[in-house]
Amino acid sequence: LRMQTDLSSFLLVFGRAIHAIARISDEFCFDPVEKGLALRSVNSSRSACAYVFFSSMFFQHYCWAAVSESCQKEKQLPIPCKLIIKSVLPVFRCVNMLDRNVEKCNIYTNINEHHITFQLICKHGVVKTHNLTFQECDPLQAVFAKHMCPNVLKLQSRLLADIMIHFPMSQEEVTLSVTPVKVCFKSYTDEDTADFSKAMHTEIQLNPDEFDSFQVGVDSEVTFCLKELRGLLAFSEATSTPVSIHFDISGKPIAFSIEDMVLEASFILATLSVIEDEAAPEQPLRFSQRQESKPHRNGNSQNMELVAPRSPLAKQQRTIIPKLSNGDTTGIERATTVETVGRTMQELSSTHSDYHKVRKLQSHLPYFSKQGNKALQLFHSLFFGAVSFKGKDAINDTFHSLATASDTEEDSVPTQRSQV
Amino acid sequence: MRFRAKIVDLACLNHFSRVVNTVARLAKTCTLRLAADKLYFILSDKVANGGVSVWCELCQGNFFDEFQMEGVAAEHNEIYLELVPENLSRALKTAQNAKTVKIKLTNKHCPCLTVAVELPSLSSTSRIVTHDIPVGIIPRRLWSDFREPSVPDFDVSIYLPVLKTMKSVVERMKNLSNCIVIEANLSGEMNLKIETDLVSVTTHFKDLGNPPWVSDDESPSSAQDKDLESMAEARIDIKKLLQLLAGQQVNPTKALCNIVSRRIVHFILLHEDVSLQYFIPALA
Repeated sequence: LRMQTDLSSFLLVFGRAIHAIARISDEFCFDPVEKGLALRSVNSSRSACAYVFFSSMFFQHYCWAAVSESCQKEKQLPIPCKLIIKSVLPVFRCVNMLDRNVEKCNIYTNINEHHITFQLICKHGVVKTHNLTFQECDPLQAVFAKHMCPNVLKLQSRLLADIMIHFPMSQEEVTLSVTPVKVCFKSYTDEDTADFSKAMHTEIQLNPDEFDSFQVGVDSEVTFCLKELRGLLAFSEATSTPVSIHFDISGKPIAFSIEDMVLEASFILATLSVIEDEAAPEQPLRFSQRQESKPHRNGNSQNMELVAPRSPLAKQQRTIIPKLSNGDTTGIERATTVETVGRTMQELSSTHSDYHKVRKLQSHLPYFSKQGNKALQLFHSLFFGAVSFKGKDAINDTFHSLATASDTEEDSVPTQRSQV
Repeated sequence: MRFRAKIVDLACLNHFSRVVNTVARLAKTCTLRLAADKLYFILSDKVANGGVSVWCELCQGNFFDEFQMEGVAAEHNEIYLELVPENLSRALKTAQNAKTVKIKLTNKHCPCLTVAVELPSLSSTSRIVTHDIPVGIIPRRLWSDFREPSVPDFDVSIYLPVLKTMKSVVERMKNLSNCIVIEANLSGEMNLKIETDLVSVTTHFKDLGNPPWVSDDESPSSAQDKDLESMAEARIDIKKLLQLLAGQQVNPTKALCNIVSRRIVHFILLHEDVSLQYFIPALA
């Protein structure tokens, strides 16, 4: 795979895309395909995922070749690779400065040596070459039926930035509230935190007229993580494309996407689940995973989503949130989480069947705080299933939703620290 | 208790924001005292504040287009609120091209100062940004804690050098030492000194001028008793001094300090319609 581009917008746009993805996770998947380059990442709590696709036309020169014949018998496709973001960010760190100095940027993969090379050819004969080691990864792709969302808003990226600027950088979560005639964005603070009474609350009311298009099929209030979105805001401003927001009621994911002739991007975030009616079924977002045709996978197809990828480096914490209704009448659904560090099938299947085990998640995850027996108000994680790659290996999507119908759980479940 | 105020003029809004920003740099939490004609931002010299105190006084008429205040009681027609000035600063920060800014006392989940900013928009209706800033209502029995501090019986009073210059000097000194000595005399000379085991640095300022203070009980002869050359000095926390200097966004019309040797340094910054007093106690 070779890509060459020249400057004008490339570094800014590509750099901002990397930065946007960096807000989601420390690693991302660099996945070149025939039509272009896909970058994907998912955060560790599986509550946010980012997908950016640069079509081959975005690059001045894009050359994608299948892997050599020796691999063909295994039906091995050009391996999508996982990169640590921290190693890539410095390449695109000072985008403004780069713009002035860099004349050309080459990106190419060297599969045998497990390198991706970013080469910046700068003025005055300076050539900066960054060789980044990658690991194989199973790219996870969100399966999110945007067309099924009753609410779709489209607005200029400038407007979205002008709205979000009123929230401080420290604001974690934001609520979008719509009716067919009103729309507002407001800050969200968890009622249970100590900060609640001291926190400043900000609300922005707009006229639906300000939107390029405003379609609200169902009144809703969805709360999502603003911090993860900020990268997309900067990215969309660089591309000057309008942003589309697809969403449903609370608990269902929200997607922010941009699309133009040469690129598209989609950031899908889980939303806080607040339901009036306990009986209302929850539908967490499903993800799809590229079909692995490697031999060792064959036996595991029915539990694909639980299997950790080959790479030992990937500590896959898969967060699964089955819905447990615990008789809470405050209208806030308490969901419990089961965290698995997937290593073996054995461990996973036992956890799989046991919804009652609740383990506390890592404290760095913003959504999962709090101690004690209280079940947590949580963002729904996004589930991963299996999907075909370009329709080649047709898979009947073997979705296995781990969130089956809610088990009634009267007592709050004991929490234990996860073994990480 | 009611409070409603409105700013419509961008210059006034800008000016008010700058005052709030300055206060926010000096105090994490402070008291906002609302009177019929004035507003005060007050930080009293509690131990928790490291002994510094702030008194910032504004004439409301110079900022607000509308100002209605009904205090706790008829004879005590004032309101004292405890708030985090950084919140107010933040609320005003993105209002810089606002059509109007309204500030009022409300009761949401707790008493709040609500700042409602009306912004121009692409559509027929304006964009409204509302910030609810939680405040604490300070009961009347505690009001005496927030009296205006009196000007101390100083040894020397002197005009400050250009604040920007002073700030860059002190900023560099901050890297070398935690405390700084301010000394000045009645001949318009001021020195800023730091001394460590390894190094001592002094910056000298001359021809600063000494403000003429009029004291009731001062007889003309006593002025001559004072030795014009002798320095009054105080050793203070350099960070506190820097907070004052770094927070200044506009050069004041008058800036001076009063030094009580080894006790306290009292800074007074005067703009047209705002006065700011800042007290830094001397270190042992």
